[in-house]
Amino acid sequence: MTPLAHSKKIIFYVCIILILARLEVIHMPKEKSSERSIMVDEYEVRIGLLYTEEHEWVKVEDGKARVGVTDYAQKSLHEIVYVELPEEGIEVEQMKPMGTVESIKAVSEVYSPVSGRVIKINERLRDSPELVNKSPYDEGWIAVIEPSNLDEELKRLLTPEQYADLLRKIIKK
Amino acid sequence: MRRTVLFSFHEKYGRIGEYAGYEMPLWYKGVISEHMAVRERAGVFDTSHMGRLLIKGPQAADLLNYVSTNNHSQLEVMKAQHAFFCNSNGGVIDDFLAFKLAQNEFFLVVNAINHEKDVEWIRRNMRSFDAVLSDLTEKVSMMAVQGPLSPDALREIFGDRVVEIKHMWSSWFSLDGVKILISRTGYTGEDGFELYLFEEEERKTLDLWNAILEAGREFGIEPCGLAARDTLRLEAGFCLYGNELDEETTPIEAGLRFGVKFDDREFIGKEALLRQVREGVKKIRVGLRMTERGIPRKGMSILKNGREIGYVTSGTLSPLLKVGIAMGYVSPEYSRVGERVEISIRGRLAKAEIVKFPFYDKRRYGRKRRTNL
Repeated sequence: MTPLAHSKKIIFYVCIILILARLEVIHMPKEKSSERSIMVDEYEVRIGLLYTEEHEWVKVEDGKARVGVTDYAQKSLHEIVYVELPEEGIEVEQMKPMGTVESIKAVSEVYSPVSGRVIKINERLRDSPELVNKSPYDEGWIAVIEPSNLDEELKRLLTPEQYADLLRKIIKK
Repeated sequence: MRRTVLFSFHEKYGRIGEYAGYEMPLWYKGVISEHMAVRERAGVFDTSHMGRLLIKGPQAADLLNYVSTNNHSQLEVMKAQHAFFCNSNGGVIDDFLAFKLAQNEFFLVVNAINHEKDVEWIRRNMRSFDAVLSDLTEKVSMMAVQGPLSPDALREIFGDRVVEIKHMWSSWFSLDGVKILISRTGYTGEDGFELYLFEEEERKTLDLWNAILEAGREFGIEPCGLAARDTLRLEAGFCLYGNELDEETTPIEAGLRFGVKFDDREFIGKEALLRQVREGVKKIRVGLRMTERGIPRKGMSILKNGREIGYVTSGTLSPLLKVGIAMGYVSPEYSRVGERVEISIRGRLAKAEIVKFPFYDKRRYGRKRRTNL
């Protein structure tokens, strides 16, 4: 095979892949994908985040992990009146409690999606816990963690599609 | 799972949860707005999950005098009073409200979770008393209209006579062919009424429910769920069976002496209760108010200088006061109002102080508020 024919072949396959990606037959990461979400019934699942089975989300930004609770979690609790935040500087372990989100009648533990050190907490939640209801994926974030074992632990989390499937199962019950 | 006759309304407008084997509304719009509607205006609750019993016969009062802690012979006709079924140790089997409908006829409203246990308890202690117990729970439906404007709402349906009913009294009404017993009672601390539809048809209960919502619309009435019912009773300092009351706790320890009459008559648990009155108790019910952030919850420990002195039986964030409040039991030496204690909230010691009931300012809220304030 001549070098030209070889590169033509490569270009051909690249084109096929791009077309399939365009048609969403194969999944390719897209720009601005965090703007998009999956709706499961009334519950929003954001693309670009990873999830726990206990309804926390984590967003990795510059090697740091921002965590919060999902739209499903806040809607199940309904009116959130209190958030027990972790203390800055403490070490947390993956899937161990790091705080609570509470309504008048119920307490829900917040499990840390990743292990590491809490480097920032959302102080606004002290006086405005309802931000978790209003904006669970943005203003209602709970803490930022400096992860200690990120690559390994991310594998144990759910992709948006897997989390959406989990919600579908929960809703069916 | 059981449902009340108003379930179709609850399912349409509310969030459903399970309580005492019933599918009940936890809230409609939200517990906070429903709670505040009752403190400031009016709210209506479906309470048909509660047990309703009738004891009838020449010795109905004697039977009740023996199986419960209060004296029902002295009760005036159409009046209501609180009482307890206690075991021989004085432990509470149930707390209930008894209405004397006629000289030989008592209508009892008991807790949903204890309903069957109560029936069995009464039957087991029937002895030779000439009285008949019947269970009206399925035949009589029940709702509560509570809040400072509840008299105005009910006046539109039942006329002035309903407003004249005094606290802890009841009266018969007739509406659309249904016999309705209305009492000036409740479980929120506010002025209010409880309505019992005898010989009910499902449709008529729903009709009355809708009529109350309609009549109360101009007063800002809200349908309220069990969540608000619980926070309202907690703020008022009322006990909930399964939390503050159980078979290991006596009415004396719970501070409910008013439901216990020590007189010449014999009643089950009398000796044990008398002993506690004479010799004192080892635990006593108190109110706790957080002086630090945090919401106390059932089962948490109460500490003084690092030593455990008691436990929380109910706790919440008070929708009215916006602070964590709780009820619990502590050793009597720490029960003084103003005593500073700590509550262990998932390992963190949060400061609280012992306060008196109710938790709110009685001049501004509750049945005895000064209306012009």
